[in-house]
Amino acid sequence: MGSTLSARAVAASGLAVSGCTGVQSALAPSGPAARDIAELFWIMTVGGGLIFVAVLALALYAVYAPREPRSVRFGHGLILGGAVVFPTLVLGALLVYGLRMLPSQLAPAPPGSLRVHVEGLQWWWRVRYEPRAGEGFELANEIVLPRGRPVQFLLTSADVIHSFWIPSLAGKVDMIPGRATRLAVTATRAGEYRGACAEYCGTSHAWMAFSVRVLEPADFDAWLAGQRAPARVVAEAEPGRRAFAEYGCGACHTVRGEVARASLAPDLTHVGSRLTLGAGLFSNDDRSRLRWLTNTDVVKPGVHMPAFGMVPAARLRDLSVYLGSLQ
Amino acid sequence: MSSVDEEHASLWALAVPPLIWATHFLLSYWTAAVWCAKFADAGGSLALARLAIAVYSALALAALALTGYQGYRRHHLEQRAAPHDEDSPESRYRFMGYAAMLLSGLSAIAIVYATLVVLYIRSCV
Amino acid sequence: MREQDAERPSGDVQPLAEAPPESLQRAQAERLIEVWDAPSGWRYWSAVNNTEVGVWYTALAFLFLLYAGVLALLMRIQLAVPNNDFLSADFYNQAFTVHGSVMMFLFAIPIFEAVAVVLMPQMLGARDLPFPRLAAFGFWCFLIGGIFLCGSIFFDAAPRGGWFMYPPLTSAFQPDIGPDIWLLGFSFIEVAAIASAVELIVGALKCRPPGMRINLIPLYAWYALVGAIMIVFAFPPLIAGSMMLEVERAFHWPFFDAARGGDPLLWQHLFWLFGHPEVYIIFLPSIALVAMIVPTFARKPMVGYGWVVLAAIGTGFLSFGLWVHHMYTTGLPGVSLGLFSAASTAVAIPTGVQFFCFLATLLAGRVVRSVPMLWVLGSLAIFVLGGLTGVMVAIATFDFQAHDTYFVVAHFHYVLIGGAIFPLIAGLYYFYPIVADRKLSDRLGTIAFWLAFVGFNLTFLPMHLSGLRGMPRRVFTYPSQLGVDDLNLTSSVGAFVLAAGIAVVVWDVLRPKRSQPYAPRNPWNAGTLEWVQDMPAKPWGIRSIPEIDTRYPLWDQPNLLRDIDEGRFYLPDAEEGKRETLVTSVVDAQPVQCQRLPGPSFLPLLSAVTVGGFFVFGTFGWWRLAILSFMVGIGLICVWLWTGTALHPEKPDKDVGLGLRLPLYLSGTASVGWWGTFVTMLAAFTAYVCIVFGYFFFWTVHEDFPPAHASGPGWRWPLVSLLLFLAAWSATLLARRANARDEVALHYGAQLAALGFSVAAGAALLAGPLTTHMDPTRHAYEASVWLLVAWTVLHLGLAVIMSAFCLVARAAGRITARYDIDLHNTVLVWHFTLLTAAMTVAVIAGFPLAT
Repeated sequence: MGSTLSARAVAASGLAVSGCTGVQSALAPSGPAARDIAELFWIMTVGGGLIFVAVLALALYAVYAPREPRSVRFGHGLILGGAVVFPTLVLGALLVYGLRMLPSQLAPAPPGSLRVHVEGLQWWWRVRYEPRAGEGFELANEIVLPRGRPVQFLLTSADVIHSFWIPSLAGKVDMIPGRATRLAVTATRAGEYRGACAEYCGTSHAWMAFSVRVLEPADFDAWLAGQRAPARVVAEAEPGRRAFAEYGCGACHTVRGEVARASLAPDLTHVGSRLTLGAGLFSNDDRSRLRWLTNTDVVKPGVHMPAFGMVPAARLRDLSVYLGSLQ
Repeated sequence: MSSVDEEHASLWALAVPPLIWATHFLLSYWTAAVWCAKFADAGGSLALARLAIAVYSALALAALALTGYQGYRRHHLEQRAAPHDEDSPESRYRFMGYAAMLLSGLSAIAIVYATLVVLYIRSCV
Repeated sequence: MREQDAERPSGDVQPLAEAPPESLQRAQAERLIEVWDAPSGWRYWSAVNNTEVGVWYTALAFLFLLYAGVLALLMRIQLAVPNNDFLSADFYNQAFTVHGSVMMFLFAIPIFEAVAVVLMPQMLGARDLPFPRLAAFGFWCFLIGGIFLCGSIFFDAAPRGGWFMYPPLTSAFQPDIGPDIWLLGFSFIEVAAIASAVELIVGALKCRPPGMRINLIPLYAWYALVGAIMIVFAFPPLIAGSMMLEVERAFHWPFFDAARGGDPLLWQHLFWLFGHPEVYIIFLPSIALVAMIVPTFARKPMVGYGWVVLAAIGTGFLSFGLWVHHMYTTGLPGVSLGLFSAASTAVAIPTGVQFFCFLATLLAGRVVRSVPMLWVLGSLAIFVLGGLTGVMVAIATFDFQAHDTYFVVAHFHYVLIGGAIFPLIAGLYYFYPIVADRKLSDRLGTIAFWLAFVGFNLTFLPMHLSGLRGMPRRVFTYPSQLGVDDLNLTSSVGAFVLAAGIAVVVWDVLRPKRSQPYAPRNPWNAGTLEWVQDMPAKPWGIRSIPEIDTRYPLWDQPNLLRDIDEGRFYLPDAEEGKRETLVTSVVDAQPVQCQRLPGPSFLPLLSAVTVGGFFVFGTFGWWRLAILSFMVGIGLICVWLWTGTALHPEKPDKDVGLGLRLPLYLSGTASVGWWGTFVTMLAAFTAYVCIVFGYFFFWTVHEDFPPAHASGPGWRWPLVSLLLFLAAWSATLLARRANARDEVALHYGAQLAALGFSVAAGAALLAGPLTTHMDPTRHAYEASVWLLVAWTVLHLGLAVIMSAFCLVARAAGRITARYDIDLHNTVLVWHFTLLTAAMTVAVIAGFPLAT
């Protein structure tokens, strides 16, 4: 299709102009679904821009130009041509363009693709990998994908309506209590991206994000194996491990291979390997972990986890070291 | 001319073409939704629902051709063109024919658009 | 429809050839002023005339605009920089919820009705709309509900579920009273909005000046008619949905709780079935102002009048087929997305037609530049851009990215501010002399325009890009890494520039103008009837009601002003000291009746307070007090009906001038009251149909529906009930016929029988689910059946109250064989009651048998 080529050229120039290199930008696509939509966007923007300029110019001419009045007959011709024939054809063509794109946007991933079940909760994401071979496992607020392989997301909600959105890869799909929705994506470029909840879901809706990493297939398989394994506790994390048990963190969290086995809150088995903390709130470093533990409800309003500010600073540092060590 | 008297005129006439569109639209939507929810298997074909929608479209367009033609005849009563802005029952009669004709045209466009959908979408996904 | 034969003059009517003697003219004018003057002192607030109520209404709606605008500025401060903590998350969430809700429900819709209440009678040469007290009631409801809602944020108790209030966030996850305030407060205001819509519909159809045939009515009236009809069909889905959600919150009926068979998507369907037409209900009446302004300054009649009518009606219809485009991302089948995508693109055609008609009109004339035209051009520029992004989001695939982001925020602000606020300000500058006798300042108007126009684009243009760069809407803050910091800062600066523009407009309106001379009469040289008004205005609306021959009578009918002023047309006098206006036929505006209108009264205010009490007390869960307040409200409304409506005239007909005698009392389909009742019943029936829709919606989402565990109401009791409904309906019909033939015994017998059958019918209908122990809190199926039954019984309750009212009125001699409006209206309500009962029985008893 010739127009596709030119649209890509337009898209490319548009990217250059607006410098859209964001981690969460629909205009910097890294997958076929997002790319098709970005293309559609640029076509519509250019076409719409031309129409806008034409209509505005006509209006300014009508009001400000020194001119003779046009006949009523001319007016009827303008209405028929400009408001009926032209838009009917253009809108019809646009509708067909959109309709032809729809099946590929909605199609499920081929059978046998990697399945990832994401559950939305106020205000975090429970992510469950269900690979073809081997056991599944759970993590939170982070999704890792293999480059070039289609992935099938299964989307549900545990409480209110959320919406699962990774702009760089595809459009969004809502997560609705009582229903299971689906989204298939293929990432075509390795890198780090960000996803977010798009449907207002309560107090900390703004802090319900997640990181997305797209790895080369071999790296991905290695990551998969690492995540599947239970937690490994290194010697210097031993004091933190005790603090974890002592302060009852296991009442809500799971650390696989350890005693903590509750699933009310994010699985922490490999929390140290994640890019962010608090569902996209902070980068995952020692300072942020301490802030999170002491001021939980301040940094993330409405959060269900209690703050642990009453814990002695030394024990908190131990705890942070332990969490960071869970790679 | 008794046919242009107020007793024979009704504002409801203006609602007929858009109501044809509305009926077509709701029927198409319900047919597709109920078919996909109750009769098709997951990822199943739209088959019969598409056929049904095509039939609705044919019927609706035929009905609109009728209302449009009738409107056109009224609009052209005694070969007088728009704007139909005189204070007479004839002018009002022509105006209502004109409006019905335009509404038939708009409704027909909307129905053609809706019919395009089943040309390109073939499954319940 | 048939109208009772009136003495109709043949041929086109001419004004009196000779002016009445000057002494008579002066006496007539004095009597008119005496009758139409607003009360003074504290009694001023009992006024019901459109020139008073309409202005209060408009002013209050603008106040709510400013209030919601201040909230918007607070939000823009919060979003100016990333990770800001100017507002707490909780306050921010309340702020955007209240901002959106107030703009929609307390500004955009009311301002349409308010402006229409002010302008429509003037444009139609009527002295007032047909139900002035109903308009006053609507205003007082609006005031009470509005204060209740806006006040809540000062107690940190405001709703915070977003203006579309999606459950289950707003059901199980927000146990505070915020959602109750929203659901009950807005339901109250919606009922009032429907009341005003009834008034406008009947006004546009029945209160036009003689000769203003359907092809001659001002375009504004076309738009207002379409907008008001849309309200009648669009608000009931929301009222039905709000009722379900409130019942779920208060009594745990699980309509939206997935764990008990409910479905959150049902709310989205009902909400957007209201929500999308709502956008056009806002847009059409505002663009209607443009349709009045453009011909005036082009000095040309509207080119393509028929096309504009097409656009208004076509948009009105199509807008009901767009609701799912707010639900593109909910996982519906592609074919559904496609159908709604098709309708959403199609609606762009009639929307564009209007603008091309305006352009064609401007091109056909020599345009006189003015402040209103400047705002019109601004509106055009902004709205066209919003319309184009509207087409973009109509394409489902693009919406997958744009939905729920700042792109959509930008889009709808372009549409609503370009399509409503700019035209309204154009209208404010244009129509201000009609209300306040003086012009606003050209200089301030121009300054305000440029501030608002630049500020607007500075605020909202960058948001398109913020959204596509990944900024979801309704976030109280955002991280720097999205790359939207500069865009947001620009938006925040722009918001204050826009606010400065609005502030200049406010100053222009409020600044003292005593030293400024009155505007000349018809200051813009317009062609339509509202400009007949004298400066300063007299309270009578119009001195005498003219015979209309053209669309622009002030341009085309020679000596029109003189003839109106000298009382050479209809109703130049108020001999009996009564407020009067003409009622004409729907299509050709032939005079059929001289309608007596009620004067000032505190009853609308008191009724609004007590009915409002139901919603306010209900919010706090004080249901006994709520029901008590409601009962008092019903009582007051009965007093109002008794003392203010369908009064017996002192003579059967009167001379309205120009040799025309018209009846003073008509009942049945010829009366405006019948049409008002009919439209109200249509609205109630629409709400009911939405509940039926809910039932079948559950059927489509569930494998087994009715679910295996549920017994259902059986078919015996419902069938018995239906037969009793039929009996009660027949008896009511018989009672009306007997009354018309003055067969008193038969009338009373039939009316009493109707009441007896009614009680039995209600009991039998309740017996169905009661005897089978259906528990409405167990499953959405049981809740749906119970809701259908409850609605039907409430509808029956209304019919019973009306029948009882008629019984008492007959006994008191208020209803006679000749004067029987109330009976006709009661029969009409009974038609709808029977229809509702029949559908309920078919659904709850028939459908389970059929599956």
